[in-house]
Amino acid sequence: MKTVIRTSRFMAFTLVEYARSARILIDLLASVIFFYIFLRRWTSAPTPAYFFAGTSLFTLALSFYTSSAMLGLGDRPQGYLILARRIGRGGYLLGLYLAALSVVAGLYGLISLATALYNPVEGLTPLGWAQGTLPLLLNVALLNALLALLTPMVLPASGRLAVLALVAIAFSGNLIGGQTLAGLPSALTLAISVLRTIFSTPLLPAFTGFSLAINRHYDLVAYMILLAQLSLTLGLLSLGVYIFARREIIFSGA
Amino acid sequence: MYAIETENLYKSYDGVSVLRGLSLRVRQGQVYGLLGPNGAGKSTLLHLLLGFLRPSQGELQIFGEPDLDRVRGRIGYLPERLRYHLRYSAREYLRYLGRFSDMAEPELARRVEQELAAVRLTEVADRKLSTYSKGMLQRLGIAQALLGDPELLLIDEPTAGLDPAGQREMLDLLAELRSRNRTIFLTTHYLDEIDMLCDTVGILSGGRLAAEFDVQSLRVPGRSVLISVDRLGADLAARLQDLPGVRCRDREITLLPNSAALQAQVLAALLQAGVAIISLAPQGRPLEEIYMRVVRGEPAELPAADPPPGLFAPAGHPDALAAAPGAPTIVELPAEPAPGRPRQGDTLLRELLGGDPDADGGAGERNT
Repeated sequence: MKTVIRTSRFMAFTLVEYARSARILIDLLASVIFFYIFLRRWTSAPTPAYFFAGTSLFTLALSFYTSSAMLGLGDRPQGYLILARRIGRGGYLLGLYLAALSVVAGLYGLISLATALYNPVEGLTPLGWAQGTLPLLLNVALLNALLALLTPMVLPASGRLAVLALVAIAFSGNLIGGQTLAGLPSALTLAISVLRTIFSTPLLPAFTGFSLAINRHYDLVAYMILLAQLSLTLGLLSLGVYIFARREIIFSGA
Repeated sequence: MYAIETENLYKSYDGVSVLRGLSLRVRQGQVYGLLGPNGAGKSTLLHLLLGFLRPSQGELQIFGEPDLDRVRGRIGYLPERLRYHLRYSAREYLRYLGRFSDMAEPELARRVEQELAAVRLTEVADRKLSTYSKGMLQRLGIAQALLGDPELLLIDEPTAGLDPAGQREMLDLLAELRSRNRTIFLTTHYLDEIDMLCDTVGILSGGRLAAEFDVQSLRVPGRSVLISVDRLGADLAARLQDLPGVRCRDREITLLPNSAALQAQVLAALLQAGVAIISLAPQGRPLEEIYMRVVRGEPAELPAADPPPGLFAPAGHPDALAAAPGAPTIVELPAEPAPGRPRQGDTLLRELLGGDPDADGGAGERNT
C-alpha cells in the first residue's frame, strides 16, 4: 500500500514538473490542432469509426512525444537517485509511466468532450464511447509501457537496439515482400517468415485492439483481445521494472 | 556493531578492477574520511554502500545488515553533484521528498523548516531552485540528506566544484553536523576537509585501504614553516639569514626546523622592523606526507618522533625561546606543491600555534 501511495505522490510530482516545464503546452496545442482539423471543421457529424480511428492514431502519436518527454525529465541519474532511493526504483518508473499515461488519457478525454459539445459523433452513445475507448487506451498504455522499457535508464543501448531489431523484424512484412522475397533462397525466405511470425505475435494485441476500438464489436474474441492488450502491457512494465531494479547505476559526478 | 563494514570487497567494471579486496570498518558515531586520488574508487565504494552497484565479490554490511534495502531509510546521501528538479522551490522540493519517505504532517513541516534553517536557506526557501547558486544547491543537498534524520550520512566530495566562499560555507555546515552525533562517511581528495571534519582518515589506493589513521594524531605542525611578509629589506633579510635554519627569498622566509625558538626570533625581528606578516604556512604536514607516500606506493607510517615544538612554550620550558641547537642546513622547498587546496588561514594558524593546551602541564605545544 505504501508503494502505491508513494508512486501516486511521485506521479503528482512529475505532472507538476511537466506542467511547469511548459512542455504540456505542446500536448495541448497538438490536441487543439487535431480536434480542429479532423473533428471540428467538418460540417457533417463524424462517424464512430472515423472518430475512433482518428483518435487512436492521434493518441499513439501523442504518446511518443509525451512519454519520451516525461521519461526524459526523469532520466537524470544525479536527480533520480535521490528520488528513487525514497520511492523505490519500481515506484519511480511506474510514477513516470502513469504520469505520461494520464496526460494522454486526459487529453483524449478533452477531445472526446469537445467533440460531444461541438460536433457530436453520429449515433455514438456513452456505452459505445466506453467500448471504443477501452481498447484505445489499452493501446496507449501498451505503447507507453514499451517506451518505458526502452528508456536509457532501464535498458542499455545494446538492449534497446535488440528490442528495436525485433520490432523491425515483426514489421518486415510491410517492408520486404513480393519480388524481394521471391529472389531470396527458399531457406532464407522460410527463416524470415518464421521469425516474422514469432516476433509479430506480440504486435497482434495492438493491431486487433485498434480494430476493436473502431468496430466495437464485443464478443468472446473481443474480451480475449482486451486481455491480451492488458497482459502485454503488464508484461512489458514488469520487465522494465525488473531490469531497472536490478540494473547497476553508473554515473559520474560531473 | 559497525555502521559500515566491508570485507574483502571487489568491484570491477568491464574487466577493470576498481576495488581489490577492500576491508573497512566504520564505528557508529564516527566521522570517517576516505581520501584517495581521482579514480581510486571512492565514489564506487559509496555507490556500493547505497546499493546502486553490486559487489563483484566480498561482503558489505550497514548496521550489520547485508540487505541494503532494509536500511535504506537510515541512510542519508549527498552526491557530489545533485541535479535537482529546478522548477520547484526548496521548500516544495523538501516537502515532496519527505512525503516520498512517508513522513506525515505536522512532523514533515517541522523537519523541513528545521533543515532549511540548519542550512541557512529559510529566507530563500520559496524561490525556484533554478535561481540558486551551486553553493546553495549543495546546501540544499545537505538538507535533503538530513531530512529523514538518518543515522548514517554518506557524503561524496562535498566541496567539489564550489568557489572558495561556497567551500567555506559547506565546510562550516559539515562541521556543525558533527554535533548531531551521527555517523558520517565522507569521501574527498582535499586534505583540509579531513583535517577539519574527521575523526579517522582512510587512504584508498590501488583498490585497497592502504592506510588508516586517527586524525588527531596527525594534527601536528609541519617540519618547516613559510612566512610571507609584505616587504623584506636587504638588511633585515641578511640579519634573519644569520640565524641558523632561516632562508629568505623575495618576500618569503623559510624556517627549518619549525622550532619555537626559531619562530620567536624571526617573528620578534619582523615585529621590531614593523614588517606585516601576510601568512604563516606550515610545510610538509604529516597527512600530506603520508598521503603522498601511500599514493606513490611507499609504506605509510606516522612520524616516528613527535614534531618540533611550536611557538608558545611556557617560560622555563626547555623549548621556550631557546636557540635551536644544531639546526640542520636549510633545504630548498619542493617546487611542486603537495596535493590539496591552498590552505585556509585559520587552519594554518591552528596547526602552527595550536595543539593540546593541556599537554605537558599546560604547555601550548608538544615537545620533541
